[in-house]
Amino acid sequence: MVIKRVTKAIPYILLLLIATPFLTMYIGFFLRAFGERMVLGVIPERWGVNNFRFLWQPIAWGLEKTTMWAALGNTMLFATVSGFIVTVICMLAGYALSRIEFRGKTFFLVLQLILHAVPGQILLIAIFFLLLYIKLLHQIPGVALARAALEIPLGIWMAKGFFDGIPWDVERAAMIDGCTRFQVWYKIFLPLVKPGIAAVFIWGFLFAWHDFIYVYTLLPGTIKLMATLIQSLLATEVVDYGYLAAMSLVYSLPPLILFIFLQRALLKVPIFGGKGAV
Amino acid sequence: MAGEAGQSRPPLSMRKILGNRRISLSIFIGPSVGLVFLFYFIPVILTFLIAFTDMDRTLTWRFTGFDNFSRLLGIGVRDPIIPRVLLNTIIYTLGALPVTIIGGLFIAILSMRVRAGVGLFFRTVFFIPRAIPPVVYGFLWAWAFEGTRYGLFNAIRAALGLPIVQWLIHYPMVVVILANGLLGISMAMLVFSSAIATIPQELTRAAEVDGASATQIARYIILPLLKWPILTMTAWHLMSFLNSYVYIMLITGGGPYYATEVWSLYAYHVAFTQYRYGYGASLTALLVVVNVILLLLVLRAFGMQRMLARGKIEV
Repeated sequence: MVIKRVTKAIPYILLLLIATPFLTMYIGFFLRAFGERMVLGVIPERWGVNNFRFLWQPIAWGLEKTTMWAALGNTMLFATVSGFIVTVICMLAGYALSRIEFRGKTFFLVLQLILHAVPGQILLIAIFFLLLYIKLLHQIPGVALARAALEIPLGIWMAKGFFDGIPWDVERAAMIDGCTRFQVWYKIFLPLVKPGIAAVFIWGFLFAWHDFIYVYTLLPGTIKLMATLIQSLLATEVVDYGYLAAMSLVYSLPPLILFIFLQRALLKVPIFGGKGAV
Repeated sequence: MAGEAGQSRPPLSMRKILGNRRISLSIFIGPSVGLVFLFYFIPVILTFLIAFTDMDRTLTWRFTGFDNFSRLLGIGVRDPIIPRVLLNTIIYTLGALPVTIIGGLFIAILSMRVRAGVGLFFRTVFFIPRAIPPVVYGFLWAWAFEGTRYGLFNAIRAALGLPIVQWLIHYPMVVVILANGLLGISMAMLVFSSAIATIPQELTRAAEVDGASATQIARYIILPLLKWPILTMTAWHLMSFLNSYVYIMLITGGGPYYATEVWSLYAYHVAFTQYRYGYGASLTALLVVVNVILLLLVLRAFGMQRMLARGKIEV
């Protein structure tokens, strides 16, 4: 009986052991953000929101000053534009891939998987020149377009999955009544796949919100997004860890809330879904 | 006749344009094809073009033949950093890959054995790296392993009366491998545990009735059935680690003194901090070639049709 209990406890103990260092990191991070003076390095002497002073005070970096709100606004703009582009393009392509037969369809679908496997960030040098030549470098919408392209491959698969879930009879009836493909898409399918639209938008939005390397490389240092603001504060001589932890928390919160909404929709994506990923 | 047609209805109505099969297809597919063309194919071509120039901050095109490639291959004028970078890339990739696969398997199997709520809790904890922004994740690691008493782990060590360790100076590669491995785990664990969830219960139940231990069930039933997910995750993360540099850049910046500078990060640094775009592009071009070869190998091994097939657990 005792032995059985012990063997039952083993997985719990092992999991806890593996997770402990990382749990320490995450909990320490929280304590650091809300603690004012640390005792023994990790335990705060007193709680407070002094670390969150960037919410009402300007932030100085180098010779310039900015506010957290300006950076947050830029991040919001960048992520929204990127998410919008991803949504429109994937909703169009996803419908065609789900409903219309055409030559090269399988190739197109496999190509998207392959492109998804190749991280776009290695092509950054060329994308820098491309944006330079099409005059979209150093501005948020242009870089958002480039960033959106990275999420298109998986977004298309996501959108296709949502369209696949709608029965054929709906559109057959509409087409017999004389609707064109475009009308079917616009008037019948879009209202039916509202959760899908939300999921694809959140998908594009999230990755743009998280993005660091694109905005860091392709936008000038004067346009600060949350990611580049935190990074530039980290790169200064004296780093105030509590202040930065608090700022990181504010920056990470919106995606975490969105993730909870996205969770269920994500399970339907073939690539992340239950069937063993590609 | 012509006049009549013109009177009854316009020859090319909006309706007719949208009704045309080819036009409607191009409306649906066109934008995505265009964007893929613009941001994947043109950049690949541009990379190879720039690789043959000595493009610098003046942004002028001056073709120099194979100069860049002979430099990075060590013919003639050689780049003394390359051997170090190559070795780092191999150590990093071969280090992070087992961490991801073995760690992911371990956590997936364990978290499916404990109570559902507890399992979900641990899977959530291990998913955090992917749910927070890279900058925050990088900051978390840089802070946790900071070499003064302000860093998390050193603060704990100091509180316990242990000496301070300069983690990022003495073990930078270990830190970088762990940080990236944990990111890999977050994905692999999810994939593995959802694959385990699709294994029919009769199989494990029957084994339990026959008196198999938990380790035996894991070894002889779960692992063989996870062959496909393990293979795909290995291929996936091999490519991902080969190309990833953002987290290394954020945690160590490639240092101290090139200790964690991997190939893709070196290409980035050459291009965007030394402004030698031409040479940076040649480094990238080589990486693209390696990627294509790897992809072809993976596609050959897995088969195109099977990539599209749905059920991946073969019982």
